[in-house]
Amino acid sequence: MTRLCHLDDLPEGGARGFEVPGLACKVIVVRRGGRVHGWRDFCPHYRGGTPMAWKRDAYLNGAGDHIACHAHGAWFDIETGACVQGPCLGKRLIRVPLIVDEAGAVRLRPGEERR
Amino acid sequence: MQIIGPDSLVFGVDDVPACHEFLTAYGLDAHDYTPEKGGHFLSLDGTGLEIRRRDDPSLPPALKTGNMLRMQVLGVVDEAALEAVAAELGKDRQVLRLADGSLRTQDDQGFELSFRVTTRRQLDLPAEKVNAPGDFGRKPNQIGVWQEMPTKPRTLSHVVLFVPDIEPALAFYRDRLGFRVTDTFIGTGPFLRPQANPDHHTHFFIRTPPYMQGCEHLAFHMGGPTELMLAGGKMIKAGFESFWGPGRHKFGSNWFWYFKSPLGCNVEFDADMDTHDDDWVPRETPMGAEAAQAFLFQHRDKWAPSGGPKPGH
Ligand code: FES
Ligand SMILES: [Fe+2]
Repeated sequence: MTRLCHLDDLPEGGARGFEVPGLACKVIVVRRGGRVHGWRDFCPHYRGGTPMAWKRDAYLNGAGDHIACHAHGAWFDIETGACVQGPCLGKRLIRVPLIVDEAGAVRLRPGEERR
Repeated sequence: MQIIGPDSLVFGVDDVPACHEFLTAYGLDAHDYTPEKGGHFLSLDGTGLEIRRRDDPSLPPALKTGNMLRMQVLGVVDEAALEAVAAELGKDRQVLRLADGSLRTQDDQGFELSFRVTTRRQLDLPAEKVNAPGDFGRKPNQIGVWQEMPTKPRTLSHVVLFVPDIEPALAFYRDRLGFRVTDTFIGTGPFLRPQANPDHHTHFFIRTPPYMQGCEHLAFHMGGPTELMLAGGKMIKAGFESFWGPGRHKFGSNWFWYFKSPLGCNVEFDADMDTHDDDWVPRETPMGAEAAQAFLFQHRDKWAPSGGPKPGH
């Protein structure tokens, strides 16, 4: 079960990207409202997907209330992954199921590494 | 119409300090900047970007799509050229003359436009020179690269727009403002150059649905491919993220390296673009990876073939 980080490494309202062996893109982890959400760092604007941050871990818009692709400004709902504004309207991010164990370690759900 | 091209692009953003961090790392100089109000980010000839908060009341209205581009300021050669623009556009739309002498209007897609007598300075800087057998661009003892050589963007080169209605957009810039079509990606859109600028393009339009209208990318000219590579490499090293490049486009021949940005569009370094005059015969080809570039690289960390077994072992 690939461990991404500890909850303590994720400030509330913050986002981070993690390389995962075997996955073609990073996994974005956003902590919000006491929950963590995992998304593939693949903007669905173009076929194949492209990474979205403008610098390392800079995945959120200015208000911190949406995941943003900083190539053309698409905004995605942090909880559902649905695009709410910009080039990806009608498309959504691909969820990466996460597990937070009792010790606070954030892990990929077993099997996700191979997808 | 004696239009030169964009003097300034105005953005209303949701994170002004992030834009400051990005644009100064990119090599622009901040002028009259505060984190609360934003400011200007200028290249060597004085052209550049104006960054304000999204809710700044001094800005023209925002596009409905959420794209952060608020206005293009197009420079013209002189007062007579400004009069010509006012007379032509005044035929079918409101053209305001502001206190600073500039004109304000909209194109047919609702992109805000300002026209002014250009404030750009004439640059007196050498281009990157190349040595080759038969033609030595550099004098003896003049070296071609050093790690700390200056890599400052020289001038605002072009803006690329997502445009829902290409035909009327093209008609406006070509037939009303006198832009020349230099080349076209069939199914995507035209590259345009204004009459008072020989650059292959100051504008390129990409056909999109209405919900995408806005700025796709903007670019500044560098002194040459070496400057472009060094500048992009510094961005990568500082943690900024490449979108596309480095590589070299076919149409326009310009080297490119695009970076994602907190302006909600890509910001490109370009270098060594073709120039044209009215003898040029425009080309057409379908857009695709093959047509979009002559070659494409991806950055990697510095490496050297060293550290293997010692000689004799
Ligand atoms: S690549 Fe993400 S919005 Fe265009
Ligand atoms: Fe470009």
